[in-house]
Amino acid sequence: MTEDKLQHLKGLAAPPARAEARERALAAAMAAFDAAASDADLAARGSAAAVEVSPIVGLPPTPNPSPRGGGESAAEKISATTPKDASGADRLKLTNNPIVRRPRMQLTRFQYGMAASIAALVVAAPIAMHVMRDAQPRPLAPEGWSPPAEAPRGAASKPRGLDETVAKPASPASVATAPTSSGVPATHDTQRIAGRDAPTIEALRREAAQKQAADAQRREDSKAKAEAGAKPTADVGAVVKTEADKDAKVGNRLPHAAERAAELEATTARKGNRKTEAGGETPQGTVRLDSGRGQEPTAVASPSVTVAAAPPPPAAASPSVAVAPPSAMAPAKPAVPPRAQFMGGAAPSSAAPSRNLVVPDQSGAASRSRHVGEAKIADGHPVGDVLAGQAGGKLHSAPHDQRTATYMPPRPEPAPHQVEENRDQFQGAPDNPVKQVAQEPVSTFSIDVDTASYSFARRALNGGRLPPKDAVRVEEMINYFPYDYTGPETADVPFQPNISVFPAPWNSAHQLVHIGLKGYELKSTERPRANIVLLIDTSGSMAPEDRLPLLKNAFRMLVDELKPDDTVSIVTYAGDTRVALEPTRVADKGRILSAIASLNAGGGTYGEGGIKKAYELAEASFDAKGVNRIVLGTDGDFNIGITNRDELKGYIERKRDKGIYLSIVGVGRGNYNDATMQALAQNGNGAAAYVDTLSEAHKVLVDEASSTLFPIAKDVKIQVEFNPAVVSEYRLIGYETRLLKREDFNNDKVDAGDVGSGHTVTAIYEVTPVTAPPSVDPLRYGGTAASEPQRRVGADTGPREAVAAGELGFFKLRYKLPKEDTSRLLTLAIGPQQTKATIAEAPAEARFSAAVAAFGQLLRGAPYLGSFGYDDVTALAQGARGEDRFGYRAEFLNLVRLAKSAAR
Amino acid sequence: MAGEGDSDDALAARAAAGERAAFACLLARHYDRLFRLAWRWTGRRATAEDVAQDVCVKLATAIRGFRGEASFATWATRIAYTTACDHLKAASRVHLLAPADMSSLVEASGETPEQEMQGSELWDQVRALAPQQRDAVLLVYGEDMSHAEAAAVMGCTEKTVSWHLHEARKRLKVSLAATG
Repeated sequence: MTEDKLQHLKGLAAPPARAEARERALAAAMAAFDAAASDADLAARGSAAAVEVSPIVGLPPTPNPSPRGGGESAAEKISATTPKDASGADRLKLTNNPIVRRPRMQLTRFQYGMAASIAALVVAAPIAMHVMRDAQPRPLAPEGWSPPAEAPRGAASKPRGLDETVAKPASPASVATAPTSSGVPATHDTQRIAGRDAPTIEALRREAAQKQAADAQRREDSKAKAEAGAKPTADVGAVVKTEADKDAKVGNRLPHAAERAAELEATTARKGNRKTEAGGETPQGTVRLDSGRGQEPTAVASPSVTVAAAPPPPAAASPSVAVAPPSAMAPAKPAVPPRAQFMGGAAPSSAAPSRNLVVPDQSGAASRSRHVGEAKIADGHPVGDVLAGQAGGKLHSAPHDQRTATYMPPRPEPAPHQVEENRDQFQGAPDNPVKQVAQEPVSTFSIDVDTASYSFARRALNGGRLPPKDAVRVEEMINYFPYDYTGPETADVPFQPNISVFPAPWNSAHQLVHIGLKGYELKSTERPRANIVLLIDTSGSMAPEDRLPLLKNAFRMLVDELKPDDTVSIVTYAGDTRVALEPTRVADKGRILSAIASLNAGGGTYGEGGIKKAYELAEASFDAKGVNRIVLGTDGDFNIGITNRDELKGYIERKRDKGIYLSIVGVGRGNYNDATMQALAQNGNGAAAYVDTLSEAHKVLVDEASSTLFPIAKDVKIQVEFNPAVVSEYRLIGYETRLLKREDFNNDKVDAGDVGSGHTVTAIYEVTPVTAPPSVDPLRYGGTAASEPQRRVGADTGPREAVAAGELGFFKLRYKLPKEDTSRLLTLAIGPQQTKATIAEAPAEARFSAAVAAFGQLLRGAPYLGSFGYDDVTALAQGARGEDRFGYRAEFLNLVRLAKSAAR
Repeated sequence: MAGEGDSDDALAARAAAGERAAFACLLARHYDRLFRLAWRWTGRRATAEDVAQDVCVKLATAIRGFRGEASFATWATRIAYTTACDHLKAASRVHLLAPADMSSLVEASGETPEQEMQGSELWDQVRALAPQQRDAVLLVYGEDMSHAEAAAVMGCTEKTVSWHLHEARKRLKVSLAATG
């Protein structure tokens, strides 16, 4: 029986490709062919045919390509479209190299545009019908839908009231189908409808709008109003999912759906407010003007319909995007229960109906709601309070009451149908706000050498998606890159600060204070012995190629880097904990490698005592003079014996104090538990790295093996005090999760980040000189922000002011040497000698890190960059690539390009 | 037009030498087949059109390297097959709505979802198979290839293809019985 059915498979007709699609594909291919031809050595070939660039019309007629085309031949089709081909080719903007996706993307956008225009017509028509029925006694509805007998007269005339973008795509199709008798049925229908109703649509809409306004007034029901406002923007971007359809998994990230929805949304938005009003609610409430639902009225009627937010590809963040008007905060109140309203709450606030304004809100909400739905992390909390709490009060939240509060994503609502697809967890923290020097002249934070965020973002971008905003930590992106800063000479003072001040690339009135630290690079003879325990997750989820197999290769490379008298042991955890390798000296490399090779994924994760076992082994071969480190490789299942995160952290902390450090290598996607990894590595004096490719593994475990494994300083904290006579405002870019209290700086009990051999750490402040207009208006009453500096200059007569004159600020660094418990201090004044007048004069390393900072902020949707976009990032980074020995910076440039197209 | 009556392989040889018209003719001849193949794998017309276009562009850039070691049809099929698989792999990171839902959202043109999903149950079941089993079924039954041809396209041995088919049949029997 199965065999019969399968034999039947070939007989099942595939639907024919649309003629336009065929045309496009052939045109694109011919363009590619031509491009290849121009690349080839034409002279050598000497073939006139190859050189000749004939127009696309020159495609040969084909034998009946469409199984359902009836008598109509392809030649007819092609000739029918001939007049359009020139403009069509123009529209395609085929570049010389069509392999780049540009032509295709434009094509698909064209397709979306077309879908949108049709959607608009299909949706507008019923409303028009309805209003007409109300306005005139003549019943119109059923007849109105039956196609008129004669050829569509409206095919040539564009319906009024549709803007250019919509009308344009519609016309080629109408030309293509009009002369033939069969054509694509639905297009035909729509055209007819368009033709018939076009003259009246405008009037009808207006009527509908008026009627709607009257209705709304009558009811005075604010809830209804909110809903009406919400519809066209929020719902169009939403994807309708029927509960009954269990197979339909609404991915939170649906490039296809989202793009299309966004396109529809854009069209709707362009139509302006009129439509917004008209679309709210038709008297019967069955047909609504939101394109998404309008096409499936049954879905609207059905009570089982849920609406899940589909994040459209978040647009490039610009202030206008991220700065949500005050009304956008309304939905943050928990009092607004239904999701549609919550989504919509932000929508009416889009004074200018631009797609950009809506998009970030939605995507923010969507990504956040995903996290909250996990219920594992308390993402809804506005600031890093959560983190601070969990980190035992050691990490500090930004004082969020002082935030300029320009951007506040709406408080998420748990979606009723949680999507299983993406269970990666990130703990978000809002961007550091602009601070007034007069009020808070001192900024303190712990350094961060983690790089996980960059790798994760890269993985998302390579997949054609923007990373979730919370996954982007600007400082980690900046610190991903090795910088060629001047390093210290000896290990006694393990740091050399490199500070430069130059105009901010995105705001010439502001300056960037760029602080680059270079850690001392241990020479290999000085390298202490290493005692390394690999704690490897071998649960079933580790089976995919990018997890355990990747880790195995990575650890193999690591073992190659170690010296013969280093020690390696391996503990695995899955269904149970297993010691795969007792502590073994690297001299016996064969045994280690075969132990690694024998690892297999399978089983659950009940690894009771996995981590304890690892610490036991580390203690067994503890080397008081060497480095003792556990390297945990996992895809995020931290069910390693101690499941309570705080308990686990406490455990790791205690072991850290005994001298055993923990580093984490994260792999895989879908289950990645970023928050836990961060917290654990931070508490274990180690770095959390996310490894998505073998080359990344190589970077983490080989190129940077010594910095990953051998610390040169621990608890490194930075404090910068700004001079209010010179600087009125400052903002620390990144380090949101690493802020410390001012008094913690001198408290050696407070844990902070660690720096490995040769690590570079970069921190960037954006400062507003007093000469530039501040972003916050001076207060009218009392101790004003603006007048305070002057007052203090006048009041303080001490030598301090004299010293500080001209100084922009004062940099302080506290660190402990690896085996010491008291911290040492390093200071440096930031003065005119470090200030550069133009960006070009700034060191290349500083410029590149500024570009990375800008990129990170763009990905986060931070509202501080003005019109600075991905192209500007590229330009800035391009000029500062430096030596780029490992090609990291070239890769960065590529990522910026990917982000740009993903953001579209 | 150039080479209307010529064989695929003759045209391909001329296209490889840079003759534009020959390539155009080849493409026009094969587009529909490539599209159908893409559709069988992806199950959605819009996606299939995208894939087919990718395939065309790939063919255009690669034709110069075509040495006639396999027939043009086989070569093109292999490219289409890998492109479709790549596409599915990329898309598998993302759970799309079921095609019917998607098309109801944006595909106002074209057939109704019902029409587009003719015999959808069987397609669904086939597409739900493990990738290699699915490929084997689609190549052998959908593209009407012999086991050997399918093996060449899939880059495995004939025996493996037969085994995948066997597994696929076993599974389909169960899943089809379950859905009636």
